[in-house]
Amino acid sequence: MTRSSRRLTRLLAAATVTSALAACGGGGDGGGGGGGGENEASDIGVTADTIRIGSHYPLTGVAAPGYSEIPTGAQCYFEFVNDAGGVYDRQIEFIYRDDAYNPTQTVQVVNELVLQDEIFAMMGGLGTPTHRAVLDFLNGEGVPDLFVASGSLLWDNPEEYPYTFGWQPDYEIEGKFIGNYIAENFPDARVGLFLQDDDFGEDGRAGLEGYIEDQIVAVETYVPGNTDVGPQIAALQAAGADLVVSFSVPSYTALGQLAALRLGYQPQWFYSNVGSDPTLVGSLLANFSEGAVSDASLLDGAITTEYIPTVDQTDNPWVQLWQRVWDECSTAEGELTNFRIYGMNQAYTTVQALQAAGQNPTRDGLVAAVEQAGGDFQGSWYAPFRYSADRHAGISGMQVSRITGNTSEELTPVLITDNGEDVDIEESDNEPTTPPEDGIPDVEPVE
Amino acid sequence: MLQFVNVTLNGLVQGMIFAAFALALVLIWRSTRIVNFAQGSMAAATTFIALAIIQAGQSYWVALVVALLSGFLIGAVIERVVIRPVEGGPELNAVIVTLGLFVAIQALIAIVFGSSFQSFTTPFGLRGFTFGDTTILLTPNSLYVIGAVLVTMLALIALFRFTRVGLAMRASAFGQEVARLLGVRVGRMLTLGWGLAAVVGSLSGLLIAGGGLVYPAYMDVIIVSGFVAAVLGGLDSPIGAVVGGLLLGLVLSYVAGYLSPALVNMSALAILVVVLLVRPGGLFSSSTARRA
Repeated sequence: MTRSSRRLTRLLAAATVTSALAACGGGGDGGGGGGGGENEASDIGVTADTIRIGSHYPLTGVAAPGYSEIPTGAQCYFEFVNDAGGVYDRQIEFIYRDDAYNPTQTVQVVNELVLQDEIFAMMGGLGTPTHRAVLDFLNGEGVPDLFVASGSLLWDNPEEYPYTFGWQPDYEIEGKFIGNYIAENFPDARVGLFLQDDDFGEDGRAGLEGYIEDQIVAVETYVPGNTDVGPQIAALQAAGADLVVSFSVPSYTALGQLAALRLGYQPQWFYSNVGSDPTLVGSLLANFSEGAVSDASLLDGAITTEYIPTVDQTDNPWVQLWQRVWDECSTAEGELTNFRIYGMNQAYTTVQALQAAGQNPTRDGLVAAVEQAGGDFQGSWYAPFRYSADRHAGISGMQVSRITGNTSEELTPVLITDNGEDVDIEESDNEPTTPPEDGIPDVEPVE
Repeated sequence: MLQFVNVTLNGLVQGMIFAAFALALVLIWRSTRIVNFAQGSMAAATTFIALAIIQAGQSYWVALVVALLSGFLIGAVIERVVIRPVEGGPELNAVIVTLGLFVAIQALIAIVFGSSFQSFTTPFGLRGFTFGDTTILLTPNSLYVIGAVLVTMLALIALFRFTRVGLAMRASAFGQEVARLLGVRVGRMLTLGWGLAAVVGSLSGLLIAGGGLVYPAYMDVIIVSGFVAAVLGGLDSPIGAVVGGLLLGLVLSYVAGYLSPALVNMSALAILVVVLLVRPGGLFSSSTARRA
């Protein structure tokens, strides 16, 4: 069977989406100022008028719901920048391939990206188990591996993996925020954990335990691919957990909700950011009739965390920018979603990194630019990145919020912290930022 | 205690689902002596047809009937067009062809219906029965699954044991030349066998999908377990398939509930290896000596 499913995945790989953004619109000053001189083919993947970025996403399979929308958002933002002239007059070509959330396939498609498509850098490769499989390869080849779309701690290890950078708040600090909130607001809760059986769940648990170790009464895990989670949810119920913290991807949020529904089990749910999109989970459960489930109501009242403005915040200037990007995009299909906004944010950060790397970037120069300037990148994120020569960790803060219908209300101000039990959680004093007028960042090249 | 009850009930329902799939494998094995690896993909295809009908506003039962009919058609057409040319050659040829079909049909589903996750409705409720203030992991939908599988099993037993068609199907599968000499229209019987097996497969696909999430590869997990269940039961016996499915469902549910979910797939394969070592013919095999 393994052999046949491997053949299947190959076949699906043939249907891989490859997208190179058309070069349209002429000149204009999209670059970060500076530079004189001519554009040169300064490194692999860079020509005088193009620069090639690659990535891998689950476009099919168990992790595809939601996550397969991320590259469509990123692609539209790159198109938006290209239409305004690109970065240093270079058009960004964004090529992404389907790995079906299967590490074996990630290895294959990333090989193709690096060796055959000859990308300049990676951007936003998605998934902990998947991206971990290509970490050594990318660093061995010296390919900048920017902004991995996963909150694993693995990406923040500049000594071993000098080319890799995290982006979103890592699962450990997310666990700390969640644990802290529970300790303060639910001090008597009997806490059950429902964790993905890899670093995603483990890192989250590590962060939680610093605050609520003595409140945890049960720890259950699920393996992506096995869709029967009934026994695990039954075990949480049997342990008497009245608050369940779930580090799960969206499809398993839905499966866990279904199992709980069968059991008549109604704890207070607390979802990590990645698995909590109410619109997506609602649409996953949309076909159940007979009044068993009514759309997003299952997640109503669940608590979660946020670190970038979401699609329901229509008066936020960043969300207005993302809406504009989406409306103007030639490849856009369907509605703007939180996953697409995530992709746009990552693309926005990538454009900042390319600007910081200067007119004729090299791979090593790009890494140095993010280390030097990345801590000051401004965007829609609630708290700054932790990039420096010694750290490659992403966003440092989040806020806790409660899901109500398809929107959410904030329960705490933005909190910031860092890894380790000895770093306290503090309120952020960052002012909310607004996007630049033309929607394109303007970062000075580093020296 | 409640946890034990719930994990057991979960195992029973999962086991019935494995059994449904194993029944389809048994049927095709009994009527054509081929192990059909494409069964899962074929079932997924008809499930997506049913889903399209439900989404167009029709009732579950209309969708069920259409899915079963289209399952019969798909099965019969595949036998006539794809399997017939390799029949009579080495058995392995046909098996490899079904492997190819497995991949091709799944890809086709993704092209036609898209590869996103979608929930699949059920005709019955998804909330567990309650006794006092405890809810057990047994829903009206579970009872529907269990009932449907038991009825299918009985129907298959009756078909093979008490009808002339069943006898003729077994004869054609067992020895084509002899059957032909006795006046059995072997070609038709093989087509019928594939068609019926696909009907049972379609039913299993719908039962598995009900109250859960479907995507083109959603049957993959079931395929492994369904094969193990069928082999446990001896590949030849409808009762064996159901008992094998139940055993497997219970063991896997206990493993997930009390040991570790990470061990589930490994346990299924370990059981398969042990059965093949200890009783290669399966627990219910009566015909190890009868190889034509």
